Amino acid sequence: MKTLIVILTFLIAVSGVSAQVRITGKVTDQKQMPLGGANIFLQDSYDGATSDSLGFFSFKTGLKGIQTLSATFIGYKPVLRKLDLDSAKTIVINLVLEETGGQIDEVVINAGAFEASDKKKAVILRVFDIATTPSAQGDIFGALGTLPGVQKVGEDGRVFVRGGEGYETKTFMDGMLVSTPYLSRMPDMPTRGRFSPLLFSGTLFSTGAYSAEYGQALSSIVDMKTNSPETEDKSSISIMTVGVMASTSKCWKNSSLSLSGDYVTSGLSNKINKQQVDWIKSPVGIDGTVMYRQKTGKTGMYKFFGTYNHSTSGMNYPNTQTGEKQNILLNGSNVYLNNTYNNTMGEKWMIKSGLVLNYDHQKFDINNDQVVTNQKMIQAKLGFTHSFNDQTGLNFGADWVNSSYEQNIRMDGNFRLPVLNNQLSGFAEMEYKLTKKFATRIGARIENSSLSKQTTLVPRLSGAYKTGNHSQVSLACGQFYQNPEEDYLKFAPQLKAEKAEHLVMTWQYLTELKTFRVEGYLKKYSDLVKFSEPLATNPFDYYNAGSGHAEGLDVFWRDKETFKSTDYWISYSWINASRNYKDYPAAAIPSYVSEHNLSIVYKRFFESLHTFASVTYSFASSRPYHNPNFPGFMNSKTNPYNDISISLTYLMKFFGKSAVLHLMVNNLAGFDNIYGYNFSKVPNATGQYESTPIRSPFVRQTILLISIML
Amino acid sequence: MQKTEVKIFSPKWNKNKKLKIKIAEYKHLNKSNLKSHKMKKLIITLVLVSLFSFGFAGEAYEKAMSFSIEKLFQVKTIPEYIEVANQFERISKIEKTEWLPLYYSAFAYIMISFQEPDNTKKDAYLDEAQKYLDQAKTIDPNESELYMLQGFLYPSRINVDPINRGMTYMGEMNKSLDKALELNPDNPRVYYLRATIMHHTPESYGGGAAKALPLYKTAEEKFGIFKPKTAISPNWGKEINDAELKNALEALKK
Repeated sequence: MKTLIVILTFLIAVSGVSAQVRITGKVTDQKQMPLGGANIFLQDSYDGATSDSLGFFSFKTGLKGIQTLSATFIGYKPVLRKLDLDSAKTIVINLVLEETGGQIDEVVINAGAFEASDKKKAVILRVFDIATTPSAQGDIFGALGTLPGVQKVGEDGRVFVRGGEGYETKTFMDGMLVSTPYLSRMPDMPTRGRFSPLLFSGTLFSTGAYSAEYGQALSSIVDMKTNSPETEDKSSISIMTVGVMASTSKCWKNSSLSLSGDYVTSGLSNKINKQQVDWIKSPVGIDGTVMYRQKTGKTGMYKFFGTYNHSTSGMNYPNTQTGEKQNILLNGSNVYLNNTYNNTMGEKWMIKSGLVLNYDHQKFDINNDQVVTNQKMIQAKLGFTHSFNDQTGLNFGADWVNSSYEQNIRMDGNFRLPVLNNQLSGFAEMEYKLTKKFATRIGARIENSSLSKQTTLVPRLSGAYKTGNHSQVSLACGQFYQNPEEDYLKFAPQLKAEKAEHLVMTWQYLTELKTFRVEGYLKKYSDLVKFSEPLATNPFDYYNAGSGHAEGLDVFWRDKETFKSTDYWISYSWINASRNYKDYPAAAIPSYVSEHNLSIVYKRFFESLHTFASVTYSFASSRPYHNPNFPGFMNSKTNPYNDISISLTYLMKFFGKSAVLHLMVNNLAGFDNIYGYNFSKVPNATGQYESTPIRSPFVRQTILLISIML
Repeated sequence: MQKTEVKIFSPKWNKNKKLKIKIAEYKHLNKSNLKSHKMKKLIITLVLVSLFSFGFAGEAYEKAMSFSIEKLFQVKTIPEYIEVANQFERISKIEKTEWLPLYYSAFAYIMISFQEPDNTKKDAYLDEAQKYLDQAKTIDPNESELYMLQGFLYPSRINVDPINRGMTYMGEMNKSLDKALELNPDNPRVYYLRATIMHHTPESYGGGAAKALPLYKTAEEKFGIFKPKTAISPNWGKEINDAELKNALEALKK
């Protein structure tokens, strides 16, 4: 009988036939605002309720004793409370939930940086945006030109940032250096990036005060993230008025391989589009790229990126300086191999490593003279990230860059100009989130150059404070060193690194669909290279006595929300800059600086027409140039720059395959933009220095392509 | 002997932790106080009790599920959907080895994301749905319905920003649906989803009602032969497929 009683009690306990307890209360956030829709329940039972629009909830339970009450809500941290259900028939409990820091909600240090990514939700530009910005002509660096802080320098094509020269922007791929990111260029002709934007899933573009991980850049860095492993087999072929392109990807369980290649020839295009250049041999280029990705273990990733490029062109160049017509033939080839391996070690550590090789060959035949430049670069990098906890993280590492440059000149004799350098660097950076609203980053970078026997140690500091749900202010500053260009080092190896100091302050409002951003900055240059005359061969003609400054305001507005199927952005930059460097007799505004720069990019998808249309308008105010016919230095100004470019992308079926028909027209309105003038070195019979304007190679350029997915 | 007996019913049947503890306590009592024939009797009773309580627990799960599923397909507004999603979440917290509560939770959040008019809020709901889906996939990585639901989630992601997301998520969606069919070639919901996407794709991209019609019909056939594994297994989509099929037919008449 005893047994039976025990069993009976047992049964009762199991089947829960007992008095019920009511649990009731209110759920609010930290500001006492009611939260409707929160889930309040006892752990280990189905018993629970959802809070109503005023935050109230109420439910009954048959559970007994000490139980755990749990409250959850999207975007908030779950709350657990111990309750003694035997204490009363009705238990009143009020719960306060704390917001979790989401991707948009948490403070992110971002002064100076524009991030383009397909992974993160709230970013300023996506890769797709780069590929479809008409004025960019499919060039990554061209697309960056529509962002504030970038100067329009039409005759060069490189990225000139905030009063800095083109060489002051350094390019990286997956954190590793790309030492020759641009194609070899002819005099006064714009260059473009070597790599197709389609190979990358994101770009970090910083216009100042960047992290200690990046060095040897005075003004700006561009770090391109290569694509993650492909997830499906695919192939495509494109036929363009300027050549052909093909790509194919194959994927396996833990790896993928992509091959792409193109042959670009502007022969046809140069006939269609009126040229302002006397081509002897219209530009031809061939490219091949291999990308291999291998997952190792659960979190490891090995990436290989290899590319080969060869290009040739020839033109008849009226060299006004020397007063002769020059036949210039250019041959360039480049091999770039990039290996990176990343993995986690336990939960708190991450390792990042990389090895890069670059070989670049450039041969200019100028009439009967020849200039051959070979550059080799090896970089090895090892970095670690350690997270102590949610608030504190440490990023540190070291890299070694070995570069050898050699120029052979055959011009009234043979000259060999080598430059060899081993650059060793170390960096460490600590990020600390004091609260969810306030974060700081403190870092330092140390660099040693074997050539200049100079060791530099520079600080980098930044902080950000959230001022609202979607807005924040950031402040960042730092010091930056960059070795002088090989063009000077080859004559004067004793030159020290040039130096810049940045102070950047940003206010930003960012949602998924809208961005507004204002950034003010101060920049100071010192130790810039000065010389008595261009191409002086005496090492002691060169010295680090130049200086300069730049200050300005960059404004960016992007809106994907207000107008249906429409995305537009407006960039405006104001800059005040001056320099005393190179052979300048006094401080002056350099010729590549225009005080006002404006870009408007408008994109719209016309669903019924299956057409994606984009328009870019770019404006740059007049640029200074030196006219020897007048007294003074940098005494004249060009006309302002204007450009309207459009592109139309028509999505269609082509023999049952998905296809894209793409039309691009650059400088649709045919503005005659003059970037500056070349002046003769000697006056003519009337005592005047003759000049020729520097123009774009074409008046208007139309490119048509059809791309078919196989 | 006692040990083996306990082993038989404890891990499998004792969904309720407390029962397990009570049995363990009782086991202790046995050892010291009871004689062997009594023990035998007790074990039989215990087995019966456990059987009863197992039946009870299982019944409670199914009851709670059917109740919530019924509600899920009746509710209209976002707060109502959240309430149902919360019910499933509570069930999922107890039934840690069941993918169904997670499946329905995810389903509810996907429905919410389609309802939500504010584009900037959709992603948070979809993240929540994805969280439950991921959890469910770890419980049963070979369940066709979970890949179908994954395929159902992507169109809502695309709605947020069609220009930028269209291409990527379309590819992801097709991959998920392929996987769902690989796991169960007769899953009618996959055919329905494919049909409706074809239907609403413009004709010039190879879509339209005419092309969707045979797909709707295949879906109709598949719905006809579909038998849910249990009373609470996914069994939705037939009505909407019938309605859409009718729409497609009417569109073609015009």
